[in-house]
Amino acid sequence: MIDSGVDRVVPVLSVLPEDRVLVGESARDWARGRSNGPGWMPGDPEVPVIVFPASVEEVSALVRVANEKGMRLLPAGLGSWLGGGGWTHARDVIVSCVRLNAVEHYEPADLTLTAGAGLGMTELDGVLRPNGQWLPMDAPGADAGTVGGLVACGVSGAMQGRYGAVRDNVLGIDVVTGAGRMLRIGGRVVKNVAGYDLVRLFTGSRGSLGIITSVSVRLFPRPETDVTLCYAGRAAEMAALAHAMCTSSLPVAAVGLEAGNGDTICTARLLGSAGEVEEARSRLIDNAGQEPRRIVRDDESALLHRERAAWEEGSALVVRLAALPDRLADTFERARVLAGALGGGVAADALRGAVRVKASPDAGRDEDIVRALSRARGEMEEAGGSMTLSQARGKVAARVGWAGGRGSAPALGARIKELFDPASVLASRCP
Amino acid sequence: MVPATLAKSLVEICGRDGVILDEDRLLVYESDALTAYRHRPGAVVLPRSTEQVQGAVRAVAEHGLPIVPRGAGTGLSGGAVALDGAVVIGTARMNRILDIDAPNRRAVLQPGVINAELSAAARVHGLYYAPDPSSQTTCTIGGNVAENSGGPHCLKYGVTSRYVTGLAVVLADGSVVRLGGQGREAAGYDLVGLFVGSEGCFGIATEIEVGLLPVPEGVRTLLGIFDRIDDAGQAVSDIVSAGLLPAALEIIDGPTIRAVEDSVFAAGYPTDAEAALVIEFDGLKAGLDEDVERAAVLCERAGAREVRSARDEEERIALWKGRKKAFGAMGRIAPDLLVQDATVPRTTLPAILRGISEIGERYDLVVANVFHAGDGNLHPNILFDRRDEHELERVERASKEIMQLCVDSGGTITGEHGVGLDKKHHMELIYGPDELAAMWGVRRAFDPGGVMNPGKVLPEGAGGD
Amino acid sequence: MPVSTAVHSLAGAVRKQEQGLLNCVHCGFCLPACPTYRRLGDEADSPRGRLYLMQAVVEGRLDPGAEAFQTHIGRCLGCRACEPVCPSGVEYGHLLELARQVGGDARRPPIPARALLRVFGTAWMARPAMFAGRVLRATGLPALLTRILAGRRPPKGARLAVAMLAASAPPPPLPGRAEARPETVTQRRLEDKPTVGVLDGCVQAGLFSRVNQATVRVLRANGYRVVSVPNQGCCGALHAHGGDLDAARSLARRNLEAFEAAGVDIVALNASGCGATMAEYGSLLADDEEMAPRARALASRVRDISQLLAERGPIPGGSVPLKVTYDAPCHLLHAQGVADPPARVLDSIPGLDVVPLPGAAECCGGAGIYGLTNPRLGGWIGSDKVRAVLGTGAAALVTGNPGCMMQIGAGLALTGAGIPVLHLVELLDESYRRGGLYGKAGR
Repeated sequence: MIDSGVDRVVPVLSVLPEDRVLVGESARDWARGRSNGPGWMPGDPEVPVIVFPASVEEVSALVRVANEKGMRLLPAGLGSWLGGGGWTHARDVIVSCVRLNAVEHYEPADLTLTAGAGLGMTELDGVLRPNGQWLPMDAPGADAGTVGGLVACGVSGAMQGRYGAVRDNVLGIDVVTGAGRMLRIGGRVVKNVAGYDLVRLFTGSRGSLGIITSVSVRLFPRPETDVTLCYAGRAAEMAALAHAMCTSSLPVAAVGLEAGNGDTICTARLLGSAGEVEEARSRLIDNAGQEPRRIVRDDESALLHRERAAWEEGSALVVRLAALPDRLADTFERARVLAGALGGGVAADALRGAVRVKASPDAGRDEDIVRALSRARGEMEEAGGSMTLSQARGKVAARVGWAGGRGSAPALGARIKELFDPASVLASRCP
Repeated sequence: MVPATLAKSLVEICGRDGVILDEDRLLVYESDALTAYRHRPGAVVLPRSTEQVQGAVRAVAEHGLPIVPRGAGTGLSGGAVALDGAVVIGTARMNRILDIDAPNRRAVLQPGVINAELSAAARVHGLYYAPDPSSQTTCTIGGNVAENSGGPHCLKYGVTSRYVTGLAVVLADGSVVRLGGQGREAAGYDLVGLFVGSEGCFGIATEIEVGLLPVPEGVRTLLGIFDRIDDAGQAVSDIVSAGLLPAALEIIDGPTIRAVEDSVFAAGYPTDAEAALVIEFDGLKAGLDEDVERAAVLCERAGAREVRSARDEEERIALWKGRKKAFGAMGRIAPDLLVQDATVPRTTLPAILRGISEIGERYDLVVANVFHAGDGNLHPNILFDRRDEHELERVERASKEIMQLCVDSGGTITGEHGVGLDKKHHMELIYGPDELAAMWGVRRAFDPGGVMNPGKVLPEGAGGD
Repeated sequence: MPVSTAVHSLAGAVRKQEQGLLNCVHCGFCLPACPTYRRLGDEADSPRGRLYLMQAVVEGRLDPGAEAFQTHIGRCLGCRACEPVCPSGVEYGHLLELARQVGGDARRPPIPARALLRVFGTAWMARPAMFAGRVLRATGLPALLTRILAGRRPPKGARLAVAMLAASAPPPPLPGRAEARPETVTQRRLEDKPTVGVLDGCVQAGLFSRVNQATVRVLRANGYRVVSVPNQGCCGALHAHGGDLDAARSLARRNLEAFEAAGVDIVALNASGCGATMAEYGSLLADDEEMAPRARALASRVRDISQLLAERGPIPGGSVPLKVTYDAPCHLLHAQGVADPPARVLDSIPGLDVVPLPGAAECCGGAGIYGLTNPRLGGWIGSDKVRAVLGTGAAALVTGNPGCMMQIGAGLALTGAGIPVLHLVELLDESYRRGGLYGKAGR
């Protein structure tokens, strides 16, 4: 049966004006321009519906209507993470929070900021930069998304070791739960143990419990100096170098490994005052026993890492292999084997022992992909690690599973889902 | 007094020496470090293993009695007090460090391991455990997990929940769930993050995995002496605005200085000063001088009478000792002490400190402040003598006003001590019925029968039942 | 509940601590410092818990004869490791003695404990007892039995008693030998030559007379004028710690008079348990109007031998090429706060290799007559200490208190490891002998 989208658009129009509802081709265009390009939308026979609430009240009204009419909502920001497993049914209504993008409170001396969930990460950086501050959460693809998306996905980037994970830097959120309750949890102070830590529960819940409308985050002074050392060589040699850099006591903000067609590249990023960075640079080089192939500084260094974070953009299939950091060489090698099968590349966050693999657009038949992924998962789990999908087409994801079987306390998770979204109006998969 | 059948099964599970039933012996478990609340438990159990905890939890729950987990009993919110004849499950005997995995900078421990002893054991590998509550020489990691403890160095390094990466938890039905764990990215919600800070209401963590950090190679400590506490508060704001990120920024006010100097931990602060600001930087030696110099200039500009730099490690330790033992030293200036704990936005510090001192004057009470200024985490300590009933009443009113003042400025009712019994009714100052109902719901998800630490954290009837 | 005078004095002391704002604020900082809490994990076996029980007795909520009070106050080692870590400055040791007295009034201590105290405190009984001990020791029977009884079980009961006696024997000859250049070192001649009287002690005089003799020699070598103090006796430490304060006071009075009569500037102690007690004669006799000021004056002159030696350097002697480790007696470190001087004395001995002992600040479990009153726990604590000593790889253990020497010595002997325990002055004395400080005649 061909769906016209009307059954979803009509109830939505009872809460939102027409100009904030996209349907049909214009919705496809919006999604195509923003998402990571998985094949979920263009080829889908269903008609997409995207709505843009401009206030918490509107979000709340949408959730109410969804509960009444049995609609399913898919929370989103700029749509950059929609390929991350949220899109389970094309008939869901995408709720984009991009209109909720006001900077609600920013006192630089407090190093905290409160903003609407729809504020783009790039815009946020524009607000912070003049005050010499930043939110150093360089999750893969974060630049293309919103601050609300960052929190909802809860994925951390390469600088996690230095600045903490996303979960460590969210101070408070406003959220409309699947049950339609407007909750204001946490606050905008950096230390807060009043009641249970629901902020952490919602961080990384991928919109499965509620639609985040506003977030308060902890900021950091932007470092004076930003230097990256780039080494290149054989994969095993670079993996060993990366691990050595991670276990030195030098304050390295991020250690990356990247392998494509040629040499494997190992990068070490140093952030801090000029004196500190200079000292760390010379000692890192001493420890490595070799000069880096090149050293990039400041804007160029920042750009390199932005590109690294956006490395997987455009890939329909992105996989994460993770194990303890001292297994990096093994994990990296497994990732390279998998990348070989998928015709793509690998990039590692050495401090965390996690390696991303992206597939080339013509990665082959689904059966072959599924087989390669299943084998990789089996091997990783056997070694005490994991393999998870970051981006995948629905069919592949359905056969492989987003994460392995070792989810923690599924019964507890289900009870919590039931508590906040009893009618399952939120379409997102549980993380 | 617990039923004889329960006593019998507890002894079967934990051994005769692992169960305390004697009423007189139970006296010492009446309270934690907040002695205002005293309730004798029905029994105390001291298990040695996860299995024993499971057995004890099952046995107690079967008898319909509540359970209160307890570490070293150093909490300051009455969280480890046993209401309604609850059975205390103490973790003092579960004090083994199971593994220090140096290459991966992680450790696995039992909950009764003492915070400072974990750091001492890790130091052999050039590592340490970052969260350092003032009671770190005695408090347990299990207690830290329950309270999501902070400490002076959390300004730069963050609080307990940043470092807890995995847990084995005994739930109220006696089952064990394993949450998180480094090296694998599993499906599901951040239940580790949710559990940390749950104050014993969700279960008992019997195995804890934490992350460790490399010991910084250089540490420099500065002491700014101020004649006005406002100026010290201003200096804090200035230092942070200038883009410096000290490892710690601590303020000790006049009355506290005098108490510390009078105790065995005298650190050499001038007793006529109204505030001492401790600033610490750590990291590579190369960058430290510059940071220290800039901070010193900012202190002077804010009106410091004097800025000193700890000349050696010994001086540095003495200086910190004074700060860390300030709470105990307070006993030297008054028989009783009400420790408050609130966080406010850092920029409001000078105004809040003024407000607190006005409230103190209005109620004719001495309020001694010692706090984590960099985090805006205040500890106004109200000194009093409980034998004076009128004073006690004034203390309660002043305390409430101070709390309201902090909340009105955008702050919260507790930064690191937890809600426990003491602040249960302050929860409504910051949360409405929907938020409280959500918290009740999450608590029920872990503990449907309300067995774990009932009567704590959430006010009854607030959206719950 | 009948309120005894002892309860009154405990109540008075608690009140005094409150007025002096030295009261326990229940912060719990003392817990990990307490050897019994560390092992048992029961807060009733922690200083905070014991203070809580004392407070409960004072408040009339607890009968001092109750099992809880008797057991947990009785289980305290009295090592006072809790005092230096207490931010409120609670004078725990003082309160403990009063609590023991309260407990003793409510329920008589066991006969062996009372008998032992009686023997120590009474010269005519002590001398023959010690003599018998020395005779038995000289037969070599205890040493032989110790070898037979050696094994992995914790040292306690009769095994411990036999081994303790054996352990009080002089150590075997140490490696190395006298140096052939006696002329290079001369005794220090000083203008300032204070007069020193040495407390001979009861156990010390009875079983460790060699340590007393060495003490006199090393003091003289360092320029002190040592005079004999007739009519002195047991210091009363064991009685005070056991709660028999009346006996302790009468022993204190006798010593006070003896040392006053001798006209000494300094009272030197080579047994830190005695040192701690004599340094507190002031508070022990505080209620005795006539004696109190005199007691305070005498107490202020009390010095541990290590302090006196460290103040003078001490002067160096000959080489003792030996790997040793040092265990700090509780009553030296915690009660008297003497931490550095023993290390300085050891550092002054040429050739000595001093390795750190993990847990050196923790009680060895000797604690007076603890082995008798709490054999199981004492054995546990003792074997932990022995294990730590063995772990250092040292060839000898050095300490500064006869009780510790016997406790650890017995524990070591029972492992069959053959590691001797030396008093600090024994080692220095040997160094001086080898260095020729005592002339060619040697000892």
